[in-house]
Amino acid sequence: MSEYEPILLRNAGVEDIRSLKVYQSRGGYGAAAKALKMTPDEVIEEVKKANLRGRGGAGFPAGVKWTFLPKDRKRTLLCVNFDESEPPTFCNRVLVEVDPHQFIEGIIIAGFATQAQVAYVYMRVEFHEQFHIVQRAIDEAYEAGLLGKNILGSGYDLDVYTHRGAGAYVCGEETGLIESIEGKRGEPRIKPPFPALEGLFRLPTVVNNVETLANLPHIIERGADWFQSIGTTSSAGPKLFCVSGPVNRPGCYEAAMDITCEELIMGDKFGRGMRDGRSVKAVFPGGLSMGVLKADELKMKMDFDDPRNFGLLGLGTAAAVVVNMDTDIRDVLRNVSRFYSHESCGQCTQCREGTSWMYKMASRIAMGAGRVEDLDLLEQVANRMGMMPGLSICGLPDGAAFPIRGLVQKFRSEFEEHIRNQPPQRAEQLLSVLN
Amino acid sequence: MAKITIDGKEIECRDGVPVLQAALDAGWDIPHYCYHPGLSVVASCRLCLMEMQLPHPQTREMGWVPKLFPSCQTPVKDGMIVRFDSDKVRDNHESCLEFYLLDHPLDCPVCDQAGECYLQDYSFKFGHAESRMVDQKLVNPKKDIGPRTLLYMDRCVNCTRCVRFTDEVTGTGELCVVNRGSRAEIDVFPGIPLDNPMQGNVVDICPVGSLLDKDFLFKQRVWFLKGADSICPGCSAGCAIRVDQNENTIYRLKPRYNPDVNDWWMCDEGRFGFKYVHDDARLTRPRLRRGAEAESPLWEAIPEVVRVRLDQQVAKHGGAKVAAVLSPMMSCEEAWLLAKIIREAAPEATLASGFVPVDGEDQHFPIGASLAEAKFTIRNEKCPNARGVATIVDRAGGDTCDFDGFVERMTAGDFSAVWIVGGYPTEWVSKELAKAAKKVEFLVVQDMFENDLTKAAEVVLPAYAWAERDGSFMNHSGKIQLFHRAIDTSDAGKRDGQYLFEIAGCDGLYSGQRVRELMADKIEEFRAVAETPKAPVHQH
Repeated sequence: MSEYEPILLRNAGVEDIRSLKVYQSRGGYGAAAKALKMTPDEVIEEVKKANLRGRGGAGFPAGVKWTFLPKDRKRTLLCVNFDESEPPTFCNRVLVEVDPHQFIEGIIIAGFATQAQVAYVYMRVEFHEQFHIVQRAIDEAYEAGLLGKNILGSGYDLDVYTHRGAGAYVCGEETGLIESIEGKRGEPRIKPPFPALEGLFRLPTVVNNVETLANLPHIIERGADWFQSIGTTSSAGPKLFCVSGPVNRPGCYEAAMDITCEELIMGDKFGRGMRDGRSVKAVFPGGLSMGVLKADELKMKMDFDDPRNFGLLGLGTAAAVVVNMDTDIRDVLRNVSRFYSHESCGQCTQCREGTSWMYKMASRIAMGAGRVEDLDLLEQVANRMGMMPGLSICGLPDGAAFPIRGLVQKFRSEFEEHIRNQPPQRAEQLLSVLN
Repeated sequence: MAKITIDGKEIECRDGVPVLQAALDAGWDIPHYCYHPGLSVVASCRLCLMEMQLPHPQTREMGWVPKLFPSCQTPVKDGMIVRFDSDKVRDNHESCLEFYLLDHPLDCPVCDQAGECYLQDYSFKFGHAESRMVDQKLVNPKKDIGPRTLLYMDRCVNCTRCVRFTDEVTGTGELCVVNRGSRAEIDVFPGIPLDNPMQGNVVDICPVGSLLDKDFLFKQRVWFLKGADSICPGCSAGCAIRVDQNENTIYRLKPRYNPDVNDWWMCDEGRFGFKYVHDDARLTRPRLRRGAEAESPLWEAIPEVVRVRLDQQVAKHGGAKVAAVLSPMMSCEEAWLLAKIIREAAPEATLASGFVPVDGEDQHFPIGASLAEAKFTIRNEKCPNARGVATIVDRAGGDTCDFDGFVERMTAGDFSAVWIVGGYPTEWVSKELAKAAKKVEFLVVQDMFENDLTKAAEVVLPAYAWAERDGSFMNHSGKIQLFHRAIDTSDAGKRDGQYLFEIAGCDGLYSGQRVRELMADKIEEFRAVAETPKAPVHQH
């Protein structure tokens, strides 16, 4: 890994950086001013050239997403996805806490590029402090003429509103988020129509992640070529990584995307190794939903492509949670499946019933009444729930199936050993109660 | 028209309909729960998934896409190639149905829906006999959600048809989904029960036994019910319905699909308005009065007695003193027969159209919709055939009048022989009418319940309920629709059509068709009656 100069977190530690004055004194809003002098198409072109891939999880190129908007549209809305509901993920939170104006600047650039009149910042309900940080930054920006009518004399108008969720994981999915802003039950919508054509309030809508937007000022300021020079061609640009679990220094770190999972956990600038010298048992490297790595798979690159070589769904939110040797793998399985069972919205049959069935099996196995056939069954349910595309409206069941199937496949011998060693009388007793 | 290929067979279908609808129309049995042609598409039950051919992104060659598509959400396009007959689709049916039954209580023996349940049917056809789940079932609660409806959440498949119905058709929005995942439940808001004039439809559209009609609850196994196609007599809308009966007892009315009138729906007033049919107080025998004494003659004697006495009246007072009131509860055929009887006995006689009960204003749904926007309308004329009877009176020509005019003239003593038809399920005789009836020398009353008129009448003929008769009603818009007999009359009574047929001097058995053939010479409209289009067999 080459020497890395922080970009997104360059203002971390600067005193009073949340105030507009300090942000501006460090060159803030220069990129917005520059973008507003360009044409929207030029901005989109630059972002496309930089190949800025969405940081929300799917890695879809942001510039390309913007071009899906219909050419003859009258109104456009921008939704900022600050729901950050994926477990062990806190990149967006750190980004906004450290440098809220960088985020607002990103909104202005994205809004201008898509010619949006209104932007909604959708944040999860648990973000109490962050809500005030964002709101204060927005208010300040309004006062300074950086938001509202005729921004910086360019003739471009943009209003920004904050909207707080009610605590649903699926509202981090873009159409779930849209439904939630509309005041409805947080359930993903059927697609097509895609949000670019018919999104929020049935108007053309762009949904972008906070971190994606925070990259925009830097692309505009330093150009697409500079952006491309960081990391690899298909995974260019700075990226925030979270590491949590029993490591010596859990936290949010910035790096290029040529870093490996091992570096993230062990590196001096990152996790600084495992606490108390315990060894790694498993890592969920991209938030829970992407799947799980075994200790011998840590050489995986944290970019958009390499995770697929390890049976993972993708990079996801690039938030690694580490499980150490002392942890019972059955508890990991139970905890993971409980999350999805709790968060499934309940629309689609496979997801509603599958997640709850897997949780039931996982808790029974954890209680000491597992059967070897449960492992096969877990795999089958996972396969029938989310492995084939098109089975459900959104990606939640895929996100539930990948880690659970991964755990069962990669740690099968450990599960089998637990099942062999469970006291037979207790297992029988538990099973007979259930039957 | 678009041409698409399903499972290798090319079919023609309407442009823009969902593939699922095109397949159902063409006779495919595609399992589905959330899709209903009268509601918006949510594509959440994931049962109707299909495979589709699309051009390859590079080679542009058509090929099967690895992904499955919801057929309810995919509109047909000319040249489209899809299939349901594939391993992937079958696998999905199997796994979905296993999922549906995981937490289901399997209480079919005591479930009202058993026999017409799509969870039973689809499990039988596409599912497994055994569940692989050994864990405890999650039990969602049973709830009383309104004065007429129960919700057994443990049987629910979360298709949300009922929620969309109250949102989109009635516009009342009482129902919603609460909680998430397998704890997701249909519910009402606190203090706002499901209580709107069309709520009974949620029980019909529920594909499983989750929403239950309290009126029908535990009354009858559905496989004992025999249905007769009928028309609701509750108002002048003329909704197509099915009368479900067993051993001459009506247990429920269900709407039939008719895109020209009621789509898939009916109102609660019509749905639960049949109870009078089984009222013990109903008149079931003819009655004859000679002086102060009343007797109950044989049915066979009636034609002779009525005709002789009518002729006597004409001879005594002249034909202009004769009048008849044709009730809007009568079928067109019966009304025409009575007009024929009266006019043949006395060509100068007066024909009046009967009393039309009116209740408030027309009610349009969704609530607040105008007539043009309305998806369903409950009419304020609470009788099925006002327009039909008015048409027959009008075409009969000669001396005719409306009901108010008739009461006025009868009060003035204009008539000596009068035949009045009622047949209303509720009390309808006004004081003026009862008083005026006393001035008449010879009064024939055809009615369903005892009232001041029947007490004054010399001849009382029982009027039978619509479910015991057959014929046609003309609805508010002039559409003539057939209704068929669902149950037999009690005590082998002769139905209105039959005794009128005999009094009119016709031989043999009455049938609506025979009378319509006679009528068609005089009234062109009756040459053709509207046929209700058939809904696809596998649609539900």
